[in-house]
Amino acid sequence: MRKMLALYVPAATLLGYVFLFAPLLVLVIYAFNGGRSTVVWEGFSLAWFAEALVDRGLRAGLQVSVIVAIASAVLATAIGTSAALAVVKRPFAGKNLFSTLVIAPLVLPEIVLAVGLLVATVWTGVPLGYGTLIAGHVLVSIPFSFLIVRAAASGLDPRLDEAAADLGANGRQIFVRVTLPLLLPAILSAFLLCAVISFDNFVVSTFVSGVGSTPLPIQIYAMLKTGLTPKINALGAMLIAVNVLVILVVMGRYLKTIRKPS
Amino acid sequence: MTAPRRGNLVTLALLAPSLLSAILLLAIPILIVIAFSFAEQDTYGGAKFGFTLTSYRELFQAIYLPIFLNSLQLAVVSTVICLLVGYPIAYFIALRAGRYAGLLLALLLIPFWIDFIVRMSAWMVLLGRNGTINSALVGLGVIEQPIRMIGTYPAVLVGMLYAFLPTTVLPIYAALSGLDGRLLEAADDLGATPLQSFWRITFPLSLPGVMAAILFVFVPAMGVYAIPVLLGGGKSIILGNLIVQLFLDFRNIPLGAAVSVVLLAISSVIIVCYMRVLRSVEEARV
Repeated sequence: MRKMLALYVPAATLLGYVFLFAPLLVLVIYAFNGGRSTVVWEGFSLAWFAEALVDRGLRAGLQVSVIVAIASAVLATAIGTSAALAVVKRPFAGKNLFSTLVIAPLVLPEIVLAVGLLVATVWTGVPLGYGTLIAGHVLVSIPFSFLIVRAAASGLDPRLDEAAADLGANGRQIFVRVTLPLLLPAILSAFLLCAVISFDNFVVSTFVSGVGSTPLPIQIYAMLKTGLTPKINALGAMLIAVNVLVILVVMGRYLKTIRKPS
Repeated sequence: MTAPRRGNLVTLALLAPSLLSAILLLAIPILIVIAFSFAEQDTYGGAKFGFTLTSYRELFQAIYLPIFLNSLQLAVVSTVICLLVGYPIAYFIALRAGRYAGLLLALLLIPFWIDFIVRMSAWMVLLGRNGTINSALVGLGVIEQPIRMIGTYPAVLVGMLYAFLPTTVLPIYAALSGLDGRLLEAADDLGATPLQSFWRITFPLSLPGVMAAILFVFVPAMGVYAIPVLLGGGKSIILGNLIVQLFLDFRNIPLGAAVSVVLLAISSVIIVCYMRVLRSVEEARV
């Protein structure tokens, strides 16, 4: 009994990781398969990658997604960073309430947020398009940039500010010369993660993308509903590669900051 | 200008962007949704503001009850499965993995950040009629004919587990990694069996993490819609599909708004309960 229990936890963990990675592995492997099959190996081929890259719908979707990801990540990072700086560095009443409000989009069901944005466009007459997509993605990304930068900012030594002030730096100089450089890695991580969140976003995009501004995930979803093609596997493999790269960059920075003895 | 006033202006400037986006993109839209849920549908498919309970009355009719129950059932079953699978993983990473804990956590984050729709298409590759699993089973002679997997309820549950497993593990891991190892040693010294010290010490101390996991799985699961469409064939209608259909296919804004308000109300109740329970747990510990 005791032995079984001791084995159960590592075995469950191993199975869990197989469950998480096997599907991705299968997808990537069969993206290189020459035939249409996702079972029989018909020789190594990059043909489906080429097909995915020339598909007009997917290219248009990719363009929309990249533009929206960059624009919304810039905005969400700026907004989340300023909110984090306010919470960590400035005294003001209702700080907890303010933090809750900023994090709220993370906890509320995304579909309700999406419905809210759609109904707001109906009410105000704002046309659906890049603007509404960017606004929606900013809304769902802000909690992440806020949490990342807040964690980094609250880890800064307040004596650095005091030392800079003692040496005659004014508020703006302290911010530009001391605070900002120290927070830059966290701000960059926040930007990358916000860009990934926007690029992957599905629910909000379903509601607020307009004609001619269909982002990639919605484009893929439409293709999946009619049936799986190896083209989508190839595209999926490329997206996995990009996402893993971003994670490595972010985690690499994160691990480096941990390893440094403080 | 005096120094404190200038300080206040800086604070205000830092707060303004997030307050503005919270008001414009979150608060006002939700208020509009609530207003529309009491509006009347006009003959052109638009909505006319007013105060009528038509939408809610329609919603509480017998045909919509199964949709609520389907969603509730899917959310409860998904949460339970995620906890059963996720808890041992979090336990292993926090208490057994030693120096590999960082690596295991990083690995856990990879599927979490990969495009949702790509993850679902991976499962479509595996579960399809001529998919990897069916072909492997037929090839090995385990089954003679391919089994129907895609379009079934278990396939939906697999998709839900896949989507929400990392979200389940992370908060439980966070709670367990703060556990003082000396407590377990003390229990061991006092003659407790591993099972006893798990139920009397480890599990109670991990409860805040378990509750956070429930919050992060149950609330989104109530509003999920792409997973049941792609892996379940969209056969059993749930709240998420209903909202999408009402808004994007039927253009019935008042009814769609009413469903969204009900979903928001259910989620808010869960979030408030979570915060209450968390507070009482923290107070009990002090």
